[in-house]
Amino acid sequence: MKHPALLVLAAVVLLPLVVRHAIATEILIFAIFGLGLNLLLGYTGLLSFGQATFFGSAAYVAGYLLKYYGIGIFTALGVGIGIGALSALLVGYLCVQRSGLYFIMLTFALNQLFYFIAYQWTSVTGGEDGMPGIPRPALLGIDFRQPLAYYVLVSALFLLSLWVMKRIVESPLGTILQAIRENEVRAEAVGYNVPRFKLLAFVIGGAFSGYAGVLYAMLFGIVPLEAIGFVFSGNVVFATLIGGSGSLYGPIIGSVVFIWLSESMSVVWARWPLLLGVAFVIVVLFFRGGVVEAWARIWRFSKRAT
Amino acid sequence: MALLETRDLSKSFGALTAVNAVNLRVEAGTLHSIIGPNGAGKTTLFNLLTGQFPPSAGRITFDGRDITGTRAHRIAHLGLARSFQRTNVFPAFTLLDNVWVAAFACSPTWRGLLWKRTDRYADVTAQARQALTAVGLIDKQNQPAREISHGEQRQLELAIALAAAPRVLLLDEPAAGLSPEETRRMVALVKSLKGRYTIVLIEHKMDIIMSVSDRITVMHFGSLIAEGTPAEIQRNPEVRRAYLGGMAA
Repeated sequence: MKHPALLVLAAVVLLPLVVRHAIATEILIFAIFGLGLNLLLGYTGLLSFGQATFFGSAAYVAGYLLKYYGIGIFTALGVGIGIGALSALLVGYLCVQRSGLYFIMLTFALNQLFYFIAYQWTSVTGGEDGMPGIPRPALLGIDFRQPLAYYVLVSALFLLSLWVMKRIVESPLGTILQAIRENEVRAEAVGYNVPRFKLLAFVIGGAFSGYAGVLYAMLFGIVPLEAIGFVFSGNVVFATLIGGSGSLYGPIIGSVVFIWLSESMSVVWARWPLLLGVAFVIVVLFFRGGVVEAWARIWRFSKRAT
Repeated sequence: MALLETRDLSKSFGALTAVNAVNLRVEAGTLHSIIGPNGAGKTTLFNLLTGQFPPSAGRITFDGRDITGTRAHRIAHLGLARSFQRTNVFPAFTLLDNVWVAAFACSPTWRGLLWKRTDRYADVTAQARQALTAVGLIDKQNQPAREISHGEQRQLELAIALAAAPRVLLLDEPAAGLSPEETRRMVALVKSLKGRYTIVLIEHKMDIIMSVSDRITVMHFGSLIAEGTPAEIQRNPEVRRAYLGGMAA
């Protein structure tokens, strides 16, 4: 694991050769979603069970504009980032006032609130049926309705977001957020406004979620109600923990495992979530750092053996 | 005028008055110790001075400015840095990162907060290294804080406070839980800081207090009962009664 960035690049190139293009695209979108969550979970030590709030809100708003106003891809992404950040600002402002279990429950409760708004407001969101008919506008003459073309676009946007996140976690902000995770009282005592920094992490995470949400809506051509539901919020936490929340790349690996398992196994075996459950138990009991840690341990072990 | 001053400062927790109408004056450049039996309210007084929680009554002024009720992170920026009685570091961080994050907090500008790499802040890093050098931990700068000894963690605790280049250092029992040898080193360290900073020191070990202090304030059941030079305090009958208790009898 000397050059993780090169490995990611290789994986992005090889992924569409191994799985269907739509699944490969979904993996990368979910990975962006996970990157945003992990700034909160892995770096700041905040377990948010409400990330779908920002993902779904951005998908609905940008989806609506794509569908009825014919906006372009980049405008849609900009709107998604804005809505994701704004909804995270609202939700985060309320949540960072509390810590521990109360914080988690608040993220969850507010997620439910947004879910029921989407559920009830059928004239806009389509309620249980979702919001169908979302186009993938062409750009510079390239037709992104082609699955491979859309994959290439998403992978470029994914690499961009990974680079941005890498810059953020290697900046003073990344260190400050980790300091808050390590020792909140001391972080405050040395001069950081802890709630304000938590809120900033929330807003950045929300922007990433919104960005992913818009790409998701364009991928499937629909915003399903589940995109704003708590199961979706749980899934991204799940995938990030399986991949490893202690590392920048953990959520990417988690996304590969999670989406690949759910897409391939759900066809074969209706009770596939059982496998995820087993994987989760193994991670929690033996590999708290997820796949990243498991890999590092195997690597060390094999080195000692030779 | 005193650099740090409190007027009728009080803090109650329900029926318990932990700090009762305290009038404290700390002159610039001095080492001012606060002593008193366990539960006298010394740490609560520190928590009030550094904005951990607001006082129930009274005022705090720092350098002529009213800082009553100012929150902890603002206090740090004004130039009051504290160390904690129970070691309170960032365990997973290297020693350098522990002091770096404190040095950055009070650096003149936060430009590049979101995108500039931390290793591009040469000034902050230099200041952090200086703080580690001052406490004698520079050789271990790349070791995680949880792997060093308790004595070294106490030194790191002090380095974090120093890293912010404060005007006033509030040290809460820096020698707590140290061996005699480590205590000697800590005393030498505190002595080396004397004169360069205004220091307020809470300590239990009387030999330390007597050897380093310029002035001593004695606290008992939340109130100040005496103040003076070490020699005056040693002679004061009321202090002997309250603080030394059975030992003096």
